[in-house]
Amino acid sequence: MEILRCEGVRKIYGTGNSQVTALDGIDLSVEKGEFVAVVGDSGSGKSTLLHILGSVDRPSSGRVLIEGTDISAMNAKDAAIFRRRKVGIIYQFYNLIPTLTIQKNILMPLLLDKRGVNQEYFDQIVRSLGIADKLNALPGQLSGGQQQRAAIARSLIYRPALLLADEPTGNLDQKNSREIMDMLKLSNRNLNQTILLITHDEKAALEADRIITIEDGQIINDERRV
Amino acid sequence: MWKNYSADYLKNNRARGGSIMAASFIAALFLSLLCSLFYHFWLDNIEGVKLTDGGWHGRVTGKISEADLEEIRHFANVEEAAVNEELSHAGQTVIDIWFRDKGDTYQDMTRISKILGLTQDEVSYNYQLLSLYLIRIPGDPMPRLILPMYLAIVAVVCFSLILIIHNSFAVSQNHRLRQFGIFSSIGATPGQIRVCLIQEALALSLIPILLGMILGIALSFGTVTVMNAFTEDLAGGRQMPFSFHPVLAAGIFLLSLLTVLVSAWIPARKLSRISPLSAIRGTGEPALKRQKNSRILAWLFGVEGELAGSALRAQKRALRTTSLSLTLAFLGFMLMQCFFTLSGISTEHTYFERYQDAWDIVVTLKGTEIGEFGRMEELRGLKGVTDCVLYQKTEAVCRLPKEVQSTELKALGGAEAFGEDLISVGDDILSVESPVVILDDISFAKYCRQIGAEPRLDGSILWNRFWDSKHSNFRYPQYVPFIEEEKMEFVVLQNPETGKRADSKDADWEHGIEIPVTAFAQEGPLLREEYGESDYPLVQFVPLSLWQKIKGELGIGGGDSYIRILSQEKDSPELLDELETEAAQIIGTEYDLETENRVQEKLDNDRMIRGYELILGSFCVLLAVIGIAHVFSNTLGFLQQRKREFARLMSVGLTPEAMKKMFCIEALALVGRPVLVTLLLTIIATATMIRASALEPMEFIKAAPVMPILAFILAVLAFVALAYGIGGRKILRLSLAEALRDDTMV
Repeated sequence: MEILRCEGVRKIYGTGNSQVTALDGIDLSVEKGEFVAVVGDSGSGKSTLLHILGSVDRPSSGRVLIEGTDISAMNAKDAAIFRRRKVGIIYQFYNLIPTLTIQKNILMPLLLDKRGVNQEYFDQIVRSLGIADKLNALPGQLSGGQQQRAAIARSLIYRPALLLADEPTGNLDQKNSREIMDMLKLSNRNLNQTILLITHDEKAALEADRIITIEDGQIINDERRV
Repeated sequence: MWKNYSADYLKNNRARGGSIMAASFIAALFLSLLCSLFYHFWLDNIEGVKLTDGGWHGRVTGKISEADLEEIRHFANVEEAAVNEELSHAGQTVIDIWFRDKGDTYQDMTRISKILGLTQDEVSYNYQLLSLYLIRIPGDPMPRLILPMYLAIVAVVCFSLILIIHNSFAVSQNHRLRQFGIFSSIGATPGQIRVCLIQEALALSLIPILLGMILGIALSFGTVTVMNAFTEDLAGGRQMPFSFHPVLAAGIFLLSLLTVLVSAWIPARKLSRISPLSAIRGTGEPALKRQKNSRILAWLFGVEGELAGSALRAQKRALRTTSLSLTLAFLGFMLMQCFFTLSGISTEHTYFERYQDAWDIVVTLKGTEIGEFGRMEELRGLKGVTDCVLYQKTEAVCRLPKEVQSTELKALGGAEAFGEDLISVGDDILSVESPVVILDDISFAKYCRQIGAEPRLDGSILWNRFWDSKHSNFRYPQYVPFIEEEKMEFVVLQNPETGKRADSKDADWEHGIEIPVTAFAQEGPLLREEYGESDYPLVQFVPLSLWQKIKGELGIGGGDSYIRILSQEKDSPELLDELETEAAQIIGTEYDLETENRVQEKLDNDRMIRGYELILGSFCVLLAVIGIAHVFSNTLGFLQQRKREFARLMSVGLTPEAMKKMFCIEALALVGRPVLVTLLLTIIATATMIRASALEPMEFIKAAPVMPILAFILAVLAFVALAYGIGGRKILRLSLAEALRDDTMV
């Protein structure tokens, strides 16, 4: 079942002489349950692609369909609700709200939607991510690895259609990096979670079922590893 | 978001809400004071109209019986209907009517007039009173200015407050730009972010608004009391009772709340529209858009000056409220001081200085002709009175042959060159509309002696001095003789109502009264009024005995008479008060009189000016308080906002002394810039005012209000320096290692 489809996605920043084409006609299809790694050099356009797929940015042209819904034409409100329900994003620098406890940070997508918490699912996530004892702490009181686990928990809490991870191990040591990658794989295998991982770490990319290479805003290679 | 985010945030970051709370408090205080004062001014206007014209809304005049009156009283909307005894007379009854719902006055009055069979001419309305309630009656000539003016001023003030305080909200909200970016990235809609920010603003400002409102009402009570004290002894001064209406309180609260919420909504709307990507990427640190050197600060203070200059530029947005409110406060204060100084100089010139010896007490005998008053001897006999003049002012057309114009006047182009309002020139004749001052015979004889003329009561003394407006201004006038004295033996006077201008085709040369000119004068008698200036050529001074003979034929009559008294005691308000009372007792109750004394008038004038200064000065101080409160809120947040900036500087070797110097320069520049801008504007405005009032610039420079302006600037500077001192101490205690840690990574 196709969960993500990009059709001729282009993203251009600036105008006139300072115009930069970050994405240049991206066509992409991702099936449900796939673990896709997008690799490329700095400035190749991989983060721009992730932001467009996560509806935090809009393409200059082309369409992006997630579960059949075109997110490229959504207004700000619909895009926010879509992000909340359908997409989970994990950033390199965690992006937790520093003034909220870890528990509230994780539950925030549900709270924004005024929805109750499935306590069993919540417990399962925090236990498997190893942060069950850190729920009342503030982000500043945790290590980088623990904060990233909290960010993963937040991205999974709504059972999103698509999990987008932008260099999730880029700010972590080797041990924590390994653990984070294991957790992502686990959620992919156990929950059949579709994951799109942006990385320039080749070792991390090798964990994925499919590796897409981007260069100068274009897909130059799409390799299935299974 | 309120329950899960804002409540905790506000609880744990109380200091951050300081500037918002201060801004809300001051906005509510300002609005409460203004609205409350305007409410009192409005009530006072209503009271004034009620005292002069009565409090009735509609009035019917005609043959109205007791049964008709009962019928009027039975109208549902009629609160009261009563016969106006003062205006009613045989055959014509005047009924004053008060309505419950004043808005229906016109409709009900139309019905009443129909029932009573009265014409529209027999129905009248208290337009002035109804206009104060914004009720329009067809055919009403009264402009509705008072209430709309108050409402317009309040609207302008609200708008200005929004402009000033919205920045406090913007600074607080933008500080959390990244957090809202994160919220947005995990699915918070722009509406949710907006509502969250508005809720926070509401929670932070509710108590300050209530406190500001209460203090504003208390201040308005104080202002009303002070104003009452100022007007207590003024002639016609009315005491303003302090009153308060719950609707007014509710209105003030809603207005303050609306002002604060709009101020919060503007930046909240802007913030909620930023894309999550831009918001997350924004570090919250102020950044310069383009490099610009602080040449003056660098030249004055070296590298610290340059650093302070760039720091101020980076904080430009955060400090906008401060700059704006301090600029307005300085501008208002400086202009006010210069205006009152100029006004004082002008008053000294035109009034107190020139008339210092001209009068001590003046009694106005309303509706009394000069010949009707006969108690001058008794007044002259009063203890302490050195001189007493009874006089009346009127106007007549003075006709004279054209060739009698003086050589000097002819050299200036003749009388026709000085406008056609008062002087008209025919082929051979000039006619001049000029004042006639009638003096009692004793005073006239004294005046004759004063100018060295023979005391004669059979003719007039002609003021032969004319202002040369081509070569001098009214402030420092130069005079030329109007007529050649040798050629002029008599003057012809005509009634201004019936006399024709010399340039009109049907000029009437036949009618008029010839009066011998017994003397010419270059100076007038000592009266309170000044003659011989711009508008008055050829003033005639006529003795009472002569006037009695000619006035009937001239057909001029009516008007008020005046008694001018000079006293031995010139500077004692108590003794002048005593003399004023004694004079009033001698004149008696059969005359409608009004008395004034010079010292009291000067005191009243000084008090009025002090009152204005107090009110305007308070507004300037309030504006300065907004600026200072903002500086405090900014510097109290220094640790959070600028620790990385200073940590970087410290890591490259900036000493604590250099940091202190930077803070001093910043405080100085923050106050100095508005001072310089407003100083320039004040100089331009004052120069214009000096030019308009035709004063010598040196005269103003000598009396320039340097000290109060300097004191105001220094007081503001002291508070800003204190704010920087407190904020700077926090930064100086900072641990370098801790400060260099990037807290945006959490």
